[in-house]
Amino acid sequence: MGLGAFVRGLFPAGDAGISVPAMDGIFKPNNRLEEAERLLSLSAIDNLAVTPGGLLCSAGTRLFRIEPHGATATAVEIAGFSAPVTFVASAADGRLAVGVEGDGIHIGQPGAWRRIDPRGVNGSCLTAGAFASDGTLFVCVGSREHPARDWKRDLMEGGASGEVFAVGPTDGSCRVVASGLAFPNGVALLGDGRLAISESWRHRIVTIDPKSAARPVAILEDLPAYPSRLSPASGGGLWMALFAPRRQLFELVLREDDYRREMMATIDPDEWIGPELAGSARPDQPLSQGSVRQMGVLKPWAPSRSYGLVARCDRNGVPRESWHSRADGSMHGITSVCEQGGDVYATSRGSGTLLRLAAAANDGGSAHG
Amino acid sequence: MAASDALLRLRYRFVPDRLFGELLTKSWIDNVIPALALVATVLIMVWIIPGFVSVGTFSDLARQLSEFGLVALALTIVILSGGIDLSVGSMFALCVLAALVSMNVLGLPVGVALAATLATGLVCGLLNGVLIGYLRLRAFITTLVTLVIYRALYDIIFPRVASAIVGSMPVSPTWDLIGFGSFRGVPVSFIIFVLIAVGAHIVLSRLRPGWRLRAVGGARRSAYNAGINVKLTVCLAYVASGVLTATAAFLFSARLGSTGADTGIGMEIAVLTAVVLGGVSLGGGRGSVGNAVIGSVLVLILTSGLIRLSMPGSVNQLILGLVLIAAVLFDAKWVKNRGKLLNKVYISPTYLKLAEQTTRGEQDVLAVNDRLGATQLIGLGQVEGPEDVVLDRDDNLYTGTRHGTIVRFLAPDYARSEVFARIGGHPLGLAFAPNGDLLTCVGGMGVYRVAPDGKVAKVTDETNRSLLSVIDDSRLRLPDDLDVAPDGRIFFSEATIRYEMSEWAVDALEGRGNGRLICHDPKTGSTRTVLRGLIFPNGVTICRDGQSLLFAETWACRINRYWFDGPNKGKLEIFLDNLPGYPDNLNRGSDGTYWIALLGMRTRTFDLAMRKPAFRRRMARRIAADEWMFPNINRGCVLRVSASGEIIDALWDKAGENHPSITSTCEHKGWLYLGGVSNNRIGRVRIEGADPEWTSQGDYWGRR
Repeated sequence: MGLGAFVRGLFPAGDAGISVPAMDGIFKPNNRLEEAERLLSLSAIDNLAVTPGGLLCSAGTRLFRIEPHGATATAVEIAGFSAPVTFVASAADGRLAVGVEGDGIHIGQPGAWRRIDPRGVNGSCLTAGAFASDGTLFVCVGSREHPARDWKRDLMEGGASGEVFAVGPTDGSCRVVASGLAFPNGVALLGDGRLAISESWRHRIVTIDPKSAARPVAILEDLPAYPSRLSPASGGGLWMALFAPRRQLFELVLREDDYRREMMATIDPDEWIGPELAGSARPDQPLSQGSVRQMGVLKPWAPSRSYGLVARCDRNGVPRESWHSRADGSMHGITSVCEQGGDVYATSRGSGTLLRLAAAANDGGSAHG
Repeated sequence: MAASDALLRLRYRFVPDRLFGELLTKSWIDNVIPALALVATVLIMVWIIPGFVSVGTFSDLARQLSEFGLVALALTIVILSGGIDLSVGSMFALCVLAALVSMNVLGLPVGVALAATLATGLVCGLLNGVLIGYLRLRAFITTLVTLVIYRALYDIIFPRVASAIVGSMPVSPTWDLIGFGSFRGVPVSFIIFVLIAVGAHIVLSRLRPGWRLRAVGGARRSAYNAGINVKLTVCLAYVASGVLTATAAFLFSARLGSTGADTGIGMEIAVLTAVVLGGVSLGGGRGSVGNAVIGSVLVLILTSGLIRLSMPGSVNQLILGLVLIAAVLFDAKWVKNRGKLLNKVYISPTYLKLAEQTTRGEQDVLAVNDRLGATQLIGLGQVEGPEDVVLDRDDNLYTGTRHGTIVRFLAPDYARSEVFARIGGHPLGLAFAPNGDLLTCVGGMGVYRVAPDGKVAKVTDETNRSLLSVIDDSRLRLPDDLDVAPDGRIFFSEATIRYEMSEWAVDALEGRGNGRLICHDPKTGSTRTVLRGLIFPNGVTICRDGQSLLFAETWACRINRYWFDGPNKGKLEIFLDNLPGYPDNLNRGSDGTYWIALLGMRTRTFDLAMRKPAFRRRMARRIAADEWMFPNINRGCVLRVSASGEIIDALWDKAGENHPSITSTCEHKGWLYLGGVSNNRIGRVRIEGADPEWTSQGDYWGRR
């Protein structure tokens, strides 16, 4: 907790203004995500993984291999599962790990899966995973209470029951590395063996040393959006997908216990006030005053419920660059971003699109640095 | 849940939260705190000083007040102009001297003596005024210097005439009457003071010189830019100050008949305390005669009370100084924070429960379709804010724009358009009178009439003031839609009396019955409020019986029917309830139907918020207006209902690209025309099976 936050915490804030970090500085909005190449349209496209055999992605219950052909790409199904895939990870030796909602982790190769059912863990909310160089698999569990698809409910209940556990490289033994996290939603290995974890509901990135019992250390706080999956960038940096924007209205509802409880009890989650992966055309969706279409135009700075945002951090965890799709765009709900062979891919789960981002700028810690 | 809901409803029904904010908007609120301080001081004095309340006290107070209060008025005028006059004490002393020399030494008639006294004050004030107004010297330092100069003059002259003044007593009944006389127990000097104070109040608050004075004091540069002669105004403020001080000195001389070396010493600080304590802002431009009087009474009671408590004079001065500091501090904070406080407390949401919406299937009449998704667009990018659309007998299309014009699109293809009339405000509801005049409700202005040649005339811009309303509701703030009864009476709705046109959406957050239905009768020229306490009354349309009308209550999602004539006259009933969205304008359709434009659709989250006023209040205070929760007005829908209130058709714009927030419809010869207050286009869509000859004009006034 920073000093400012500590001082603010000393005073009751019943009437004080609520603010969220402005999209400013390195997060100054642009349209680069909206203008990125749209390679492929695939409903519910979610997690990307780079394997020696090419780029994989999950979508719904299936796993696809992406085959780029210039300005387009095709998806070839390589595996199917009984329930939605919640994450995909790949090791340097080509092994895959696939989290399946309510059906544990599948490790191995398509057709030759070894199923691991970690004990004492909510197996339906395995949100992200990453292999260490020694073959250990680290897996994020968003919440102990809810399946991954009920992430909104976990947010509204102030969920902080997430965990990270490690699966041993050979025996499949499970060990909890960290707990009490507010929806860990992405994991990546840093060069020194530490883990970077995105803690969605606390809008921050923390690091965990899996070898020690030390508490998580925040390296990036007060993000303007809810972070999702992470992946290593060439040059030692980190790619960060941010799946939904923070808005003052959401923060207000999160503080208004009475309103929030009744909303959760009586209203369908699709109609809740809160972050979303995509804009909706339904007339029953809530709206903020600034999102009213004026003279035929929806302003790009409208306080929409969904947003598209990707950021790249350097090796010190400092954001260097960002890609946006704003309120008037549609490439919203970015859940995964990864770098393969000099190209950067991102999945817009909200619109079901695979994107290839424009080349990154050269600033030392970059993909092409 | 039900019990607590009922409690909540009662609490918001009977506790008038909104009054606090409304009171803060009144200009007299500046007087309330000094007045309360006065009451408190009097009560304390009565409590600690036995026998404080007596005829003697009041008569004494009245005589002192007439002198002290006049000087306070003098200082108030100067402070209002943005300056300060520290020389009032010395000026007072000089004027006393002038009066006594005239009466006692020279034996002049009272009238001449009065003229001499006033002339002395006038010259003193004029010197200040010229130095400060024309030569642009600092008011503070200038009057500090003249304080010393006038006092020095007094000190030079007084010893030479002192014995002569004491030596002779003037023989003048008028002089004695002013000094000691009373009329029915009220001292004459007090009556003089009251007359002058009332006169000053009228000049300051109701007449041009007063307004100019305030303008100069409030914002000198703006006043100059507005064409006010700033130098003259400032100069005259000091002259007025001098003359009023002289008047006070004349009363003082008549009462005491003598003067001493200490006359007027320390007076400026006491008067300054009184004026600031009364609520006249030292920054200039804010204050009134009432402030000066309240402050004077307060200071006089305080000082006389302290004397009666036999406090030493120095303690007396000390207390007065502390009070002055406290008053200045309060004034600074109040002026700075009043606006902020008002912003925070003005919005006052209330409890509004809408019936639960039923979930609808695919086959429901209200199921979402896309029949408005592919409308023909008229005037795309040429009109901004076509709230209402209407067609004349020659098929030309009229609409209002937010630029303050009424634009006419020419039949048959509506490709060409021209400005039909320039109104100056945003025209909302439009309707044709039987004689072909176009009537329109103009936001922020009133109801206007446009003749076929484009000439604009006001119909009405005010209605009767209601007795118990704190804010002045006689002016029309947001007239919204109108219709004309068969006898020519114009019925129109005023959406809210608490917000301006630009803030209409804030009214949604309140959910209170802030609106009303008003009737203008052209035969008598009178405008009367028919119904009040309506929840954002919007569209109005006269039913075909000619005795009743339908009007929409937008935030309540219902249509009411009101009988203004016939056997049911005065009856109000719900015509259509629990709509899926927020109804805006209502219009007649062919086959005896009515069209309802829905400006937005209900969302369950907003419905829930409407049942939680405290939540909405916190929302208004804690987050930016752009982030406020709102009904979904990015989706458009038009309903068609039968004469008995049955929904028979619904037309949707599914994507909300062309016609979000539809605010009006107009059926004309088989087409439906669509307007939207926040849109930049008009749409038209063919109505299947509609009578191709039907026009609204024909339906109202018969075929031509």
